[in-house]
Amino acid sequence: MAARGPQTAQRRDRTDRRAELLLGALAAAVLLLIAFMIAFVFAKAWPSFAHNGLAWFGAGGNLDEQLSAIFNSPSDPSDYVYTLHAWPLIYATALITGISVVLGTILSMLAAMFIVDFAPGWMRATLQPVVRLLAAVPSVIYGLIGILVIVPFFGNQVISAERKESVQYVIQLDGSSILVGVLVLTVMITPIMVAISVDALRSVPATWTEGAAALGVNRWRALRTVGLRAARPAIVAAAILATARALGEAIMLSMVTGSVAFAPNPLDGVTFFFEPARTLAAQIVDGSEGLSVKPFGETMYAFAALLLVSSAFLSFGGWLARRSMRKYTLAPR
Amino acid sequence: MTWKRPLAVVAAFAVGASLAVVPAAAAKPTITMSGSTSVAPLAALLAKKYIADCGGCVTFKLLQGGSDVGISDVASGRVTIGNASRDPKPTDPGGLVFNKIAHDAVCIVTNKANPLPGIDEAGVQAIFGGSVRSWSSVPGSSASGTIDTFVRTPASGTQDAFQKIFLGSTRLFSGASQKASNGLIQQSVKADPNAIGYVSLSFADGLHTVPYKGVACTERNAKSGQYGGQRNLYMVTRGPATGAAKAWLKWITKSAAAAAVVNTEWVSLQ
Amino acid sequence: MSAHAQSRGPAGLLSRVRGGDSWSIGDRIGLASAWAAGILLCLIAAAIVLYMLYRGFQYLSLELIFSHPEAGLDQSKSGGFLDPLQGTLALTVIATLIAAPVGVGIAVWLTEYGRPSGLARAVESGVEIVAGTPSIVLAIFGLLVFQQGFLSFLSYEATPGVAFGRSFFVAGMIMSLIALPLIVGAAREALHSIPRHVREASYALGKDRISTIRRVLLPASRRGIGTGVALGMGRIVGDTAIVVVLLGATLQNDPHGGIPGLSFLQGTGSTLTTYVYNNSPVGEGGSPEKAYAAAFVLLLIVIALNFVVDLITRGRGPSWTR
Repeated sequence: MAARGPQTAQRRDRTDRRAELLLGALAAAVLLLIAFMIAFVFAKAWPSFAHNGLAWFGAGGNLDEQLSAIFNSPSDPSDYVYTLHAWPLIYATALITGISVVLGTILSMLAAMFIVDFAPGWMRATLQPVVRLLAAVPSVIYGLIGILVIVPFFGNQVISAERKESVQYVIQLDGSSILVGVLVLTVMITPIMVAISVDALRSVPATWTEGAAALGVNRWRALRTVGLRAARPAIVAAAILATARALGEAIMLSMVTGSVAFAPNPLDGVTFFFEPARTLAAQIVDGSEGLSVKPFGETMYAFAALLLVSSAFLSFGGWLARRSMRKYTLAPR
Repeated sequence: MTWKRPLAVVAAFAVGASLAVVPAAAAKPTITMSGSTSVAPLAALLAKKYIADCGGCVTFKLLQGGSDVGISDVASGRVTIGNASRDPKPTDPGGLVFNKIAHDAVCIVTNKANPLPGIDEAGVQAIFGGSVRSWSSVPGSSASGTIDTFVRTPASGTQDAFQKIFLGSTRLFSGASQKASNGLIQQSVKADPNAIGYVSLSFADGLHTVPYKGVACTERNAKSGQYGGQRNLYMVTRGPATGAAKAWLKWITKSAAAAAVVNTEWVSLQ
Repeated sequence: MSAHAQSRGPAGLLSRVRGGDSWSIGDRIGLASAWAAGILLCLIAAAIVLYMLYRGFQYLSLELIFSHPEAGLDQSKSGGFLDPLQGTLALTVIATLIAAPVGVGIAVWLTEYGRPSGLARAVESGVEIVAGTPSIVLAIFGLLVFQQGFLSFLSYEATPGVAFGRSFFVAGMIMSLIALPLIVGAAREALHSIPRHVREASYALGKDRISTIRRVLLPASRRGIGTGVALGMGRIVGDTAIVVVLLGATLQNDPHGGIPGLSFLQGTGSTLTTYVYNNSPVGEGGSPEKAYAAAFVLLLIVIALNFVVDLITRGRGPSWTR
């Protein structure tokens, strides 16, 4: 069958090369569009960074007041106000995203192991549409349930009056807080990780876990040590996607985290979790009504630019992690 | 591949089903409006009445997207009219004419469990400025505990009006929770017995409106001018309005039918 | 392959192994938490669906689904949400039809070819950067691009030379960007999970790379691609910002231009997400019960769309139930 002559081999090479070029061109075209978007955001964001320098990332002053001042800039371009210290937003984004991803990863790995091996057949069959449904619930609905049910519950039932009084000159604890934000965000990003992790666990060759069984290991431990380790690159990929989703989540967080540009203080103990905050993405959505005011719009773009850079770092980190993990799988590369 | 076929069928079905209710295109002048989500309900009602009154002389297209999108759209000629719920800013594009179409009363609201009998300018500035933080220090309040203040984002027209009319030069409390829409403030104040905030009159359902300087925040008081806290709603055109848009704006500001529509939840200029 | 012949997961064989008492306390706690996690997910999903149903039940009727939305002061008497419903279906189909082939194509190129490696890294990062961008930023970018005069065939021309920049076409194209990272990610992992020896066997039989991909690898990774498409569709269905900015959020779907099918795509409209947002307590519309009814219908649509995706991509790949 193989001995069909050099012409066939050449033809095969040519179709192969053509396919490669075509697919490569597709990928390059999409990359071009994305690069164009990144360039657009940075170009618009530049004045805000240029006027503030490194102090842009620091703390100082009340961010809400600074934003008001920027929005109310006089009309002369040389008088535009750009002063901004965005630390509360950066800190809140890192905090809420970080905690949600950690919680979500733990929850999704447990759920994935459950679905793959321990769930009864009927439960496994319902869990698949359940996970996909949770991934498709609009963020508006998560936000609605958050402010209609969860925030009042915390504000009226859980947070005591004394706690509210203790910080009343600095901040108000009305229930909308980083805690509610983290809870709902975790529920939003877990389905992504569960879906991808389940596929990955299922594709671990059975011979590997059978080997573990032959050594007398129980089901749970076999799955945990062998299955998870083999699926690690996929789990990391899923976690990257989930973190990116968490970074970009705007509407829901704007509704339930209280939307105050405040950096919650961990030294406050339990009160820390009830303190409100605002993330970068939520700030962009809250400020989207004022984009036509030039300095204000440029400040919003600056927030977007920071999110893009964070995603870039995230992507790089994920690539590094996966590269070292590939040797545990049978993957081609 | 076997899965391409069902995929194509589904796609064709979905697109086909959506085409089943495509209305016929019309050859009348079209007025396109885009912009503020708070002006949109008013614009939709006015448009409906206008079409009924003039016997279908124009067709309307009403989009949303926010005051900002409306202003940039009309400045570049994409739409005939931009709806804006904020006052013109010096940084807006040039050549725009802000046509006032209605007033909108801004009410101070508290939860129904805390029916504050009245508040004056000093009181508003103390509470929203953050110097008074506990309900027990507010005369007439039946609540005790920390005051939870809810305000709008800096880019909002309602916030602009509130700052100018009620607060003057007092700075807003740094810990106040910023909400992105009237509805969100309404919801937050409804759910929290210790809350106070401000909303447009049409959003005061289910809340207690606090009389300001002795005048209750009602439709009638706003119309007579007694209630001081009002903001403007605009339809923005590029240069003075011409043609169908001019007739439409004239109808809104001069006809009795339009005034009746506006006075349902807003305040007519007439 | 023996992996697919198992009736349960990779460790399924162990259920028939009667070992000694090898379950330590740590293992038992782990098992219990796995059970708890699974049950918790079910409970949360049920709570969301039931809450929407409970809130919107009295208004949920067939009439609501099949009548057009109308402007009116008393929303409880005026109109339903047929147009937003059509909008959701149309937009989801358009955006998925764009995102799925492009996403799978990129995933195939990244895993099977990937030369030059600098370009491959850049494409990978680019896709992940898009994943982390809030959809409002993508929407504004879309507005910038599609408001250029030469692209006015995708929406319509308000005044000559000025493109309107908002339509189903435009919204669909930008929506596909937010689904792309999920499809690329899931498809890549599916392709990576196919062991090297499968490809080597195919080459040994004389097939070139592209036929190997078409005939062997893609069918085997159907399941994973299906996961990616389902996740991407979920993201598309649930997005609000892009719809408001790029679709216009008009009350009724407004086609433009002469050709019936094309004019719908060039026109503006709204989807169930903007309808829910506008009418809910947090929007301006003031008819919350209809919003909840619409939310419940939206969740039903999601279940139906996921079912369709499942049907199409049912394959030999790793399956949740067997």
